[in-house]
Amino acid sequence: MSHILIIEDDVPIRKELSQLLVNAGYETSAVTDFSEPLPQILSSPADLILLDINLPNVNGEMLLHEIRKELDTPVIMVTSRTNELDEVLSMSYGADDYITKPYNPTILLLRISAVLKRSSAPSKQLTYRGLTVDAAKGTLSGAGGELILTKNEMIIFRTLLDRQGQIVSRDQLMTALWDNEEYINDNALTVNISRLRAKLAEIGCAESIETRKKQGYVLL
Amino acid sequence: MSFFRFLRDRIPAVLIYTAVTALTVIFLYATRCGNTAVAVTILLYILSGAIILLWDYFRRRSFYARTISALDELEQKYLISEMLPDADFADGEILCELMTETCRSMYENVAAHKRSSDDFREFIELWVHEIKLPVAALLLMCHNDGGKAAEYREQIKRIDDCIENVLFYTRSENAEKDYIIKDVLLSRAFNAAATKNISALRKRGVSIETDGLDTAVMTDGKWLEYILGQFMSNSLKYFSPDREPEIKVTAEEFPDRTELHFRDNGCGIPQSDLPYIFEKSFTGSNGREGSHSTGMGLYIVHNLCKRLGHSIKADSVQDEYTELIISFGRNDFAKPV
Repeated sequence: MSHILIIEDDVPIRKELSQLLVNAGYETSAVTDFSEPLPQILSSPADLILLDINLPNVNGEMLLHEIRKELDTPVIMVTSRTNELDEVLSMSYGADDYITKPYNPTILLLRISAVLKRSSAPSKQLTYRGLTVDAAKGTLSGAGGELILTKNEMIIFRTLLDRQGQIVSRDQLMTALWDNEEYINDNALTVNISRLRAKLAEIGCAESIETRKKQGYVLL
Repeated sequence: MSFFRFLRDRIPAVLIYTAVTALTVIFLYATRCGNTAVAVTILLYILSGAIILLWDYFRRRSFYARTISALDELEQKYLISEMLPDADFADGEILCELMTETCRSMYENVAAHKRSSDDFREFIELWVHEIKLPVAALLLMCHNDGGKAAEYREQIKRIDDCIENVLFYTRSENAEKDYIIKDVLLSRAFNAAATKNISALRKRGVSIETDGLDTAVMTDGKWLEYILGQFMSNSLKYFSPDREPEIKVTAEEFPDRTELHFRDNGCGIPQSDLPYIFEKSFTGSNGREGSHSTGMGLYIVHNLCKRLGHSIKADSVQDEYTELIISFGRNDFAKPV
């Protein structure tokens, strides 16, 4: 379970953000005293840091600069400053992503999981019921042969696989698709899911995606 | 200054001078001076009079000619007091002093207004960052809470759109350079705008098609994102109820520029309204009939484009489509490294 450190001075946001992350299955901790934030950050066991720019006493960009001298923990800047200058500055100081407030929580979660995936060691081969998932090639291969998925189907499959056994809402699937520049509408999502189901059945994984009425889908 | 204009000013002096000359001649005849003496006197009088007039004329002419040509060359006419040539005659000196004094007072006035508008802009920027905090908190609460979240989220998105309008309006109206021009991937800016509007676009069932967006243009990413967001919210306002809503975004490259085409199949804009859509507070017949329109969106977009050096135009056939085209220039000095 990944640990996320929240550096945010606005209390309601800090509270809700922490709840969002906990609901999504992360452990969280937060910096609450901003007089000397650096030692707290350096001693934290975080796998990822969410960092605000407007902080009391200290500027988030300078803090990032200091953090980068000691740690290479991935950092996502989360800020209400919508100008290119802050983004360019943050990225040049070594931020891994830059998200502006108010953000779409689903997108924030997607970005966090993307950054975590990138930073974790070249991860173990993704598998599903004995099938090897090759996201780059867009294939699932196993004893029954090789299955070629379209880009959309692969995004859907990966999103479901990431949370295997849990309900993934249509909202989450759509956001994941859009975030990957596949701007499909709800009808197309339904079509894509039934195609994916059929393809999985073809290779011997029948009954793999279950529909939960009004909630979403579960990959069994 | 023409010579006649100069002379007209000196009619009384010339008349008095002529009268004095005549009286002198009469006086000389009365005291029985010889013809030669009279002729020499007349000649001397005319010569000296002419020299005085011409000398006076030429020094004035040179002062005014230099002043006028300096004024012609100046782009900001009010800077003329810095460019005034030296006047070597009293009324010229007075004129220079008056102009210097007047211009200084105007600079001070302009500077005071600039300061106050800068202060205001800074305040708005601060205020916008400030108000985004509760908006962000509310969005998170909606997400964590479920229930009527979707409806709340829609309203919060509306608040956020209004805030963005204020922010970009002040940015677009201000002379301060607060943007950064660098290579921006069109697909990235479009993605940011699309995911920001995902709920509204999904709710309306819009199908989006993109083509050729994996090209970079020289612009400010955040500004472009706002511009595309404006296009989307306009499209959402004016989709026609008779057909499936579609948005098609394509990029086309030319040797000297890249064009971004944003096309929707909404109700279109009447030909008579088309020339005015970028004007401030113009709502047109669509805006009057349909949903709330402030006539500010495209005006702000137009201003932002102007400041970034992009040109923007619109094309539309009523009841068929509306297409907005931004053209990004390409600059040899700013080639990507």
